[in-house]
Amino acid sequence: MGRSELLASCQEAVRNAKRLGADQAEAYAQMVESVSSTVEKHDLQISKSQMGSAIGIRAFIGGRVGFASTNRLDRIEDACQDAVALARISPVDPHNVLPEPAEVPPMDGLFDPAAASFSAASAVEQATEILAETERIDPRVIVNDATFDATMQDIAIANSSGLAVTERGSLFVYWIVATARDGERVSSFDFQFGATRRVHDIDVTVPVHRVCENALSSLDAEPGESFRGTVLLSPAAVSDILLSALLFQLNARNALRGRTRWKDSIGASVASDAFSLVDDGRLAGGVASSAFDREGVPRRRLALIEDGRLASHIHNTYSSLAAGTDNTGHAAGNAQSVPGIGATNLAILPGERTSNALIADVSKGLVVQRYSGNVDPISGDFSGAVKAARLIEGGELGRPVSGTLISGNVFDVLNRISGVSSNREQIFSQTLPYVRLEDVSVSA
Amino acid sequence: MLKLLESIAAASMTWVELRYHARRSKRLVVRNGQVEESSSAELTGVGVRAFVDGAFGFASTSDLTRGGIERAVGIAQSTAKMAATAKRHRINSLAKPNLARGSFPLGAADPLDAHSLEEKLELIRRLDQDVRATSSLIVSSEVSYAEIVDEKAIATSDGAAVTLQDAKPALRVLAVAGRDGQQTRCLNTLGISGGWSDMLAVRSPDEMVRDAVKHAVDQLDARPATGGAFQVILDPELVGILAHEAIGHTVEADFVLGGAITADKLNQRVASDLVTLCDNGASVYAPHAVGWLPVDDEGVRNERTAIIEDGVLKAYLHNRETAAHYGVEPKGNARAYTYMDEPLIRMTNTYIEPGETPYEEMLAPMKDGYLLRGLGQSGQADANAEFMFGVREARRIRGGKLAELVRGVTISGNAFDTLMSIDAVGDRFEWEYGAGFCGKGQAAKVDGGGPHVRCRLTVGGEQEGAHG
Repeated sequence: MGRSELLASCQEAVRNAKRLGADQAEAYAQMVESVSSTVEKHDLQISKSQMGSAIGIRAFIGGRVGFASTNRLDRIEDACQDAVALARISPVDPHNVLPEPAEVPPMDGLFDPAAASFSAASAVEQATEILAETERIDPRVIVNDATFDATMQDIAIANSSGLAVTERGSLFVYWIVATARDGERVSSFDFQFGATRRVHDIDVTVPVHRVCENALSSLDAEPGESFRGTVLLSPAAVSDILLSALLFQLNARNALRGRTRWKDSIGASVASDAFSLVDDGRLAGGVASSAFDREGVPRRRLALIEDGRLASHIHNTYSSLAAGTDNTGHAAGNAQSVPGIGATNLAILPGERTSNALIADVSKGLVVQRYSGNVDPISGDFSGAVKAARLIEGGELGRPVSGTLISGNVFDVLNRISGVSSNREQIFSQTLPYVRLEDVSVSA
Repeated sequence: MLKLLESIAAASMTWVELRYHARRSKRLVVRNGQVEESSSAELTGVGVRAFVDGAFGFASTSDLTRGGIERAVGIAQSTAKMAATAKRHRINSLAKPNLARGSFPLGAADPLDAHSLEEKLELIRRLDQDVRATSSLIVSSEVSYAEIVDEKAIATSDGAAVTLQDAKPALRVLAVAGRDGQQTRCLNTLGISGGWSDMLAVRSPDEMVRDAVKHAVDQLDARPATGGAFQVILDPELVGILAHEAIGHTVEADFVLGGAITADKLNQRVASDLVTLCDNGASVYAPHAVGWLPVDDEGVRNERTAIIEDGVLKAYLHNRETAAHYGVEPKGNARAYTYMDEPLIRMTNTYIEPGETPYEEMLAPMKDGYLLRGLGQSGQADANAEFMFGVREARRIRGGKLAELVRGVTISGNAFDTLMSIDAVGDRFEWEYGAGFCGKGQAAKVDGGGPHVRCRLTVGGEQEGAHG
């Protein structure tokens, strides 16, 4: 089945839903082919080859909406009936409508033709390379879990306003969980991953090197010390602590629900002026890039926080209507989910000094590679254990520490950023620098 | 379907496992009076695992014809062959337990399908309204209902032949309270294996609403906790979380072989002798535990595993591959989430068995400590048994009495050190009945539980003298 048949299935579903009583309807279909190879216990565990399709139908009846999905394209009619029946029992909400029709400029670079010949054997080779590279670095590192996954996906969306779009994408995702073991000593586990859309750009050695470095460094860790002061977060820790709370605040749906503190804060200062955050759904080569969102609305580049000031929330059709603002094209999800709201390729803009330079002028502090703990996105309170952490002493990287917790409030520390590094790392679809925070509580 | 799978399995030249899995799920979400989601989903297909030359291959199909399933068998076999060429240590054999045959229905008296979606939607709309009506300090509410109804048929070429039915409804109640720019929240959840009236009988939804509102509101006045090492009482939910997250994962045999801290601790003392910790697909002590599992996805009957018995580590959790490696009987812990997933070693219901100390006797001699109830927003544990959990509700204990509520509490430590420090195990057992999922590459519905226990661990809070 190709994209044109997938689109035809969507159009058939839209016609069906209208015939069954919907006044507006939308169908989103996907077909996914994937091969993957999984490592467990430091050996190849299983190799998989999958193909599957799914279609999700939204039926609208006078502001009521219902959604149904099925993975069997021979049962579209049943799913349409379910969607219409669910719409009938739901209450009216005038913001439940299809998006305004808009021109969708196509996007290049989402699909690498070389992906078509990437076989189950190629996935096995990459998984084998993860093990081999780990052993070349240090035999004490054990790969507990790793997966190399290659996916080709076709998607199609049709709606009763005449939308008819398709897209083909390829994506290679690989991740590694490893620990180091030396006699009785077992390190914390570390987790790293990589992703690309192009066969040529696959490089499993980058996450392997990071995972080994972090696991090995925590092997020698000893209890840290308690203080209140400077903490340098790695890109992964920035993602876990700062971005998880920021994404909750920036999601317009949460603002409409009255759960965010930034509902009416567009233009207001929310962070140090060194902090700028953008989301670019059309980033060339971006792993979360696409021409259109889950509802078929064109993707774009959008500043979210500019020099510390809140510039925009992210919206889908529902939230933009309810808030009376522009639809930013951030409907998220797939054929098996109701369109939600989600970011695409997020980036914190780089600063001017390297992460090493940000360490050099700290007399006492902590570098945190990985964070394992809570972040309450509403209050902003965070508290949790740091992993693969090292003290900073006299401007230099000191000894690794274990059993250390950091705590604070995201919205407070955003105003106490004393540095953003010029070097950035790719954390799946996020491009993030090191971020230095002041006045953070560290307890051992 | 079982007959078809059996005949395809019997004709296979290699070992194969065929699993038909039809899942129907529904989800209703109401927030602040608005219906945010009303959806249904069907996910049906056959997953095939082949074992060839000491390696596994997997393929899946939604084509339920004989031809479609046979094609998937061919792909799984050729993929396994390919994996075998790269495997360092080929698997010698799979354990050959008494494989299950027959039919294993859930047997709920009041099945979920007997209740219309209108009825379910009406209930959650009313609960959502009640959350906001209960206190003027509530700024946001959310109530959701989700159900998963599964039908499976499993056949292996070495003789398993079973059909299974299961149903897991879940309810979540979220209350967000706010005052002077400050917000606090409480999420109350309930998940079971069973029918509609079973769910309502296990915990009253109205009680869940009152609890969630009270706790969200009370937290507005709570002060940050004082951190440090403390004697604490953990409630049954946190005991279940500790048993599952911090101990259970370290005894999954695939993690053990990967170098988990338990690798050379079998038959060693790892906990206070008051502790017996088990995994069990049967819902012992109280009915409807959400990890109910009579037969696993390898066709193996599930049985109780005593992981820790009187403080001594006695067993790991196995699938057929690791059981053969260790020369033990597998007890049915291989689970796959959907037809597109291969079975992995997973827990079911994981718990500490009840002891003899009444809760009041546990509390009375405590000079300074905390009573900790429920999991907060997240919990994580490591292969070396180090854990960090957020706590939903923490109350200071002073002079044997409950004192003020505090907020932002996390607990951390090494789970085995924590188990060693247990000096009292309560006499009343409860399941957590959580609505969430355990993640290990795939999702799984699991439960945890136990009695109250008293132990020592590190409470994370603010540094003395620090501000919020």
